[in-house]
Amino acid sequence: MSGLTRRGRARAQLGILLGPVSLFLSIFLAGPLIIMMIYSFLAPGLYGGVEWTFYPHNFGRILGFADPEFEIYDPVYISIFFRSLRIAVTTVLITLLICYPAAFQISRLSDRWKAFALFLITLPFFASLIVRLFIWILILKKTGFINTALESLGWIDHPLEMIYTDGAVILGMVYIFIPFMFLPVYASVEKLDWTLVRASQDLGANGFQTFWRVIFPLTLPGVAGGSIIVFIPALGNFVVPAVLGGAKSLMLGNLIEQQFLAARNWPFGAALSMLVMAIVLILLFIYIHHETRRDDDAPAAG
Amino acid sequence: MRLARILGSSGLTFYTLIFFAFIYVPIGLIVIYSFNADPVNMMRWSGFTFDWYKQIFGLKNAASEAALYIESTDQLLAAVRTSLIVAASTTMVATVLGTAAALAVYRFSFFGKRFYRVLLFVPMLMPDIVLGIALLIFFVGVGISLGIGTIIIGQCTFLISYVFIVVSARLAGMDRTLENASADLGADEWTTFRKIILPQVMPGVVGGAMLAFIISMDDLVITYFVSGTSTQTLPIFIFGMLRRGIKPEVNAIAVMMLLFSFTIAAAGLYLHRRKR
Amino acid sequence: MGESIVRLEKVRKTFPLPEGGTVTALGNINLDVARNEFLTLLGPSGCGKTTLLHSISGFVQLNSGCVYVDGEDVTDRPPHRRPVNTVFQNYALFPHMTVGNNVGYALDIAGARRAERNTQVGAALDMVGLGGLEKRLPRQLSGGQQQRVALARAIIARPKLLLLDEPLSALDRNLRQSMQIELKTLQAELGISFIFVTHDQEEALTMSNRVAVLEGGKIQQIDAPLAIYNKPSNEFVASFIGASNLFRGTIENGTVTTDDGDKIRTSASTGTGPITALLRPEQFSIANGGEIAAETGRLDVSIRQIVFSGAGYEIHGRTDNHHDVVASIAATHQALVAGAEASRKATLTYDPAAVHLIATEGARS
Repeated sequence: MSGLTRRGRARAQLGILLGPVSLFLSIFLAGPLIIMMIYSFLAPGLYGGVEWTFYPHNFGRILGFADPEFEIYDPVYISIFFRSLRIAVTTVLITLLICYPAAFQISRLSDRWKAFALFLITLPFFASLIVRLFIWILILKKTGFINTALESLGWIDHPLEMIYTDGAVILGMVYIFIPFMFLPVYASVEKLDWTLVRASQDLGANGFQTFWRVIFPLTLPGVAGGSIIVFIPALGNFVVPAVLGGAKSLMLGNLIEQQFLAARNWPFGAALSMLVMAIVLILLFIYIHHETRRDDDAPAAG
Repeated sequence: MRLARILGSSGLTFYTLIFFAFIYVPIGLIVIYSFNADPVNMMRWSGFTFDWYKQIFGLKNAASEAALYIESTDQLLAAVRTSLIVAASTTMVATVLGTAAALAVYRFSFFGKRFYRVLLFVPMLMPDIVLGIALLIFFVGVGISLGIGTIIIGQCTFLISYVFIVVSARLAGMDRTLENASADLGADEWTTFRKIILPQVMPGVVGGAMLAFIISMDDLVITYFVSGTSTQTLPIFIFGMLRRGIKPEVNAIAVMMLLFSFTIAAAGLYLHRRKR
Repeated sequence: MGESIVRLEKVRKTFPLPEGGTVTALGNINLDVARNEFLTLLGPSGCGKTTLLHSISGFVQLNSGCVYVDGEDVTDRPPHRRPVNTVFQNYALFPHMTVGNNVGYALDIAGARRAERNTQVGAALDMVGLGGLEKRLPRQLSGGQQQRVALARAIIARPKLLLLDEPLSALDRNLRQSMQIELKTLQAELGISFIFVTHDQEEALTMSNRVAVLEGGKIQQIDAPLAIYNKPSNEFVASFIGASNLFRGTIENGTVTTDDGDKIRTSASTGTGPITALLRPEQFSIANGGEIAAETGRLDVSIRQIVFSGAGYEIHGRTDNHHDVVASIAATHQALVAGAEASRKATLTYDPAAVHLIATEGARS
């Protein structure tokens, strides 16, 4: 009696559990992504929207070579791309420099304090992003906290230009992405076997050599993971530059937003999005590939 | 240079203090200055006041610039209401769908399971602007008018992933022989599910739901693209205010929001620790 | 089939391998377990003993064959509809339930009345010596206590048969030995059959009415502990249980001549052909230099190592034909052992009647 009916019932249960979510995600996740991909190859409509003709120049325009009949070589977009890349990489590096020593410090605390420190680091992650950015407006702006304080101390005559600069954008991103970097780095630091450090010193390595040849390689997985998790949202970010960046601090995210809400060149916006997604996917692919290879190299447990 | 020793010792606690100061001093500043009476320069201390808090609750209109501020109270309340409706709906949908997916992946082996698991990570790792504009193109192209419905759908596409991951983590820590033990003692599949699996996975479901709720309340980018012109959630409202120019009561709103999310997060983290 | 509580007929189970192909966990097993019997399934890991247990409890679906419990065919019944209960290897206590709710689980499922159920839970806990701990959570108990809760939970519904899957393997040595005695006592009190899985031969020999030795998905021998030890039916059983000296060779006129040239005298009077002779280490004595009776077997060895083991000495020797031999000599023969150690030589004697003959592997099948 059992064989078929038992299997049949399992099938039905699987269908009930997985059916709705599959349907939802294929309509509202896969669908939009596919349509966006198609849009990136269509011609822009005159007043927004698209015209259904094949038009490969959206990608060319990113590089500066737009539709050669109408436009001249214009590297403005590729320069925005590189500035986004630069800002994202700088953000990653600064976040790493802040979090890496902190992770070591916190991993040496007693269990009680460790738990409390981790709680304090995770907590801001749950606080409103826009509020956390708003704080920095108050601190950095012309009549903000820093300028007011420095003026009242008599250290400066004119307010410093801090807000609406690349620096402000990087500072804002570092501030909101600290938990993203800290947790993966901390996870690998926590796993570090300190007898290896002692072994290295025993074998004659000095502090720097021990760090560079033993500690850093062993914590590299966390560093790589944290860097990717910070880089992904930093590259396409449009909120931070919109709030803390000036007109000159345009990043890819703002450029994409403009194509939809101001310039109304949807296909170009779609092409820019495809670019961002492609970079992210390539990075993820490299990371996952490396991680699985690391796992494969490890001897099978048991 | 004793780098290894420095990293290993507790000698750098000063550094740790600076690290936490960087995170929390700005938050402290905004809390303090939300009680600052100066209506023009918010960061120049000129006396203590509750006015901004009274104003956001509509209890008091600033006498002189009443016309300037009066619009915000109604809009603010509307935005809060929209945010709560959206967060409650998305939490419900995402929790049900995410939990179902996690249970399916845990219990059954089926063709393409590995692929499915990877697929459910994608929305979380995708830059939110990409997802946001893809959804915008889709809704406009299909002809669904933008509003609260599209916000809910848009947020669900990635919140399902969060719930899925939290619940899956909980399920992964479960001992499968418990199901065998239950069956061995006479319980059928449904009873085992009800009495053994569900009570154990429940903390994960609650945790996933809380996470979904907080992220939904806070989501800016996806919501920004799919909300249309007439619907505003709280983050969108504040984002708009910041772009127009800042008024002192934003401070008070910000502090209220911090208080709200810190309370939920602290409660969640506390429960999480106790359940283990 | 009145007398047998469990009967397995031609039970066969294969598992697919990840790299393709299949592995046979159970190959056409036939097994009868009598009422009130304490049967132990013994074998190295991967021999199929857990799969055999699961085929009775219903956690594996068989490729072919039938399982009868108390005369009823349960082959196609799911686990929750079989009148057997299991004590799991890692106890599998429900972490979110109190001890009382764990133990009462089977009764709750069956829909027992509250008062009745509570009485029985109390009784079951008393039986395993944990009376009054109903309100505790499993994680608040020690390993040994968790073990007892698992036991109480499995016996509360009075199953016709209790299956125990290496239940003592996680306990330390002293606790394990006292639990062995308790389990024996409990089985006598309950009057139900136990099937006990273990890879520990000592445990198997102490506890069981019968021991089934498994290897390669087949029952190699099923017999009383003494018979398993003294009269193993093949070389695997002989070498898996206890230490053994095996001499492969051919028998003629009651003497086994090994391929190396050693000669072992036996009490067999007839038969010729390939055979293996088994001598347990404690069947050897050490000669005192006097006359050795003509009918006594003897083996001259050179000494390689002598180890003191508390109860006696273990002499590791080697015959002139390079065959390694182990002999256990009681501590009372200390002087003889010392002499052997000094001269690096010893003469070992044995009673030819004690030699057990096993059909040689190749010749058997």
